[in-house]
Amino acid sequence: MSNQETKPIDTKKIQEMLNRKKGKMKRYLSHCAHCSLCAESCFLYMAHDKDPQYMPSYKAINSLGKLYKKRGKVDRKHLSEIKGIVWRNCVLCGRCYCPVGIHIPSMIAFARSILRSQDVYPQLDEVSSESWL
Amino acid sequence: MYDFIRGPLIPIAFVIFILGLIIQLVQFFKLTKKKEWVYPPLEVKSEKKKVGQWIAFCFASLNGTLWKTDPAMTMMTSIFHVCLIVVPIFLLGHNILLDQSWGFSLWSLPEFITDVLTLVVLICVAFFLARRLFLSRVRAITTVTDYVILLIAAAPFLTGYLAYHQWFNYNAVMTLHILAGEVMLITIPFTKLGHMLFFFLYRFLIGGEYSFAKGARAW
Repeated sequence: MSNQETKPIDTKKIQEMLNRKKGKMKRYLSHCAHCSLCAESCFLYMAHDKDPQYMPSYKAINSLGKLYKKRGKVDRKHLSEIKGIVWRNCVLCGRCYCPVGIHIPSMIAFARSILRSQDVYPQLDEVSSESWL
Repeated sequence: MYDFIRGPLIPIAFVIFILGLIIQLVQFFKLTKKKEWVYPPLEVKSEKKKVGQWIAFCFASLNGTLWKTDPAMTMMTSIFHVCLIVVPIFLLGHNILLDQSWGFSLWSLPEFITDVLTLVVLICVAFFLARRLFLSRVRAITTVTDYVILLIAAAPFLTGYLAYHQWFNYNAVMTLHILAGEVMLITIPFTKLGHMLFFFLYRFLIGGEYSFAKGARAW
């Protein structure tokens, strides 16, 4: 069993990280108009038959947004869901465009940092390529 | 209650609106700082062009922008936001009240024009609502708050339109109109509607590839 499945979650550490960037990230999350105009700027959204799960805003709201909503009190299941969103559904190419000016890549990158702090990240060297997430 | 909505709540709403925006602005400048390296905004090379070349250039520039990917929404949202600002500021009725209260007024648009523009705002709101209800990608990120925010933005225009045409009970509709305006003013600095201010801060002051200006600040 890997460390990712057994290590207890340090919610204090997550909360500390969330608080550190609260000013910026909470504003970004609260000013997102949920207009979905960012959708077509994501090549993964276009390549996946316009599946809403690949929309930049969907990814930010359901990863970092969820972490803030739950105030960092998340379990392994939540982190595992977020892991799929921030690593499989986003490659951080930085091409997403928000008309309001919200910098979505910084939100995804921050969610990744939080997950890494809990030892949750893709382990390409340990498992087959099909199940790396 | 009726007197409170038509009386003291009006200056209270304006004070909360202005103070709220100032607080948000101060917090923004505290959270961001000037940076030495600035992400250069995309530059357009200014070469001498004939009129035909300019028109072709302008159309070519739209490729890859929202005008190309989602022209309907881009057009509707642009019209909506312009009307949202223009109609209440240059409405004859508002300017008469301003003149009676403070002895000055702004230039007013003809009533027929503001009446049509109000209708345009309501059509845009109906379009946004339809998107939220029927487009899967918008539905995927829609929450109850989004509907409430849309209602807050639409209510002053809907009630204003009803009051102008004196449909239903005029006094009740007018009180609702004033209340809707006050609710909108109070909620702007503290909700999603704050993008009214933050759009300019994010797009002009924060450095980034998509900045409209130099964007010399960073979080």
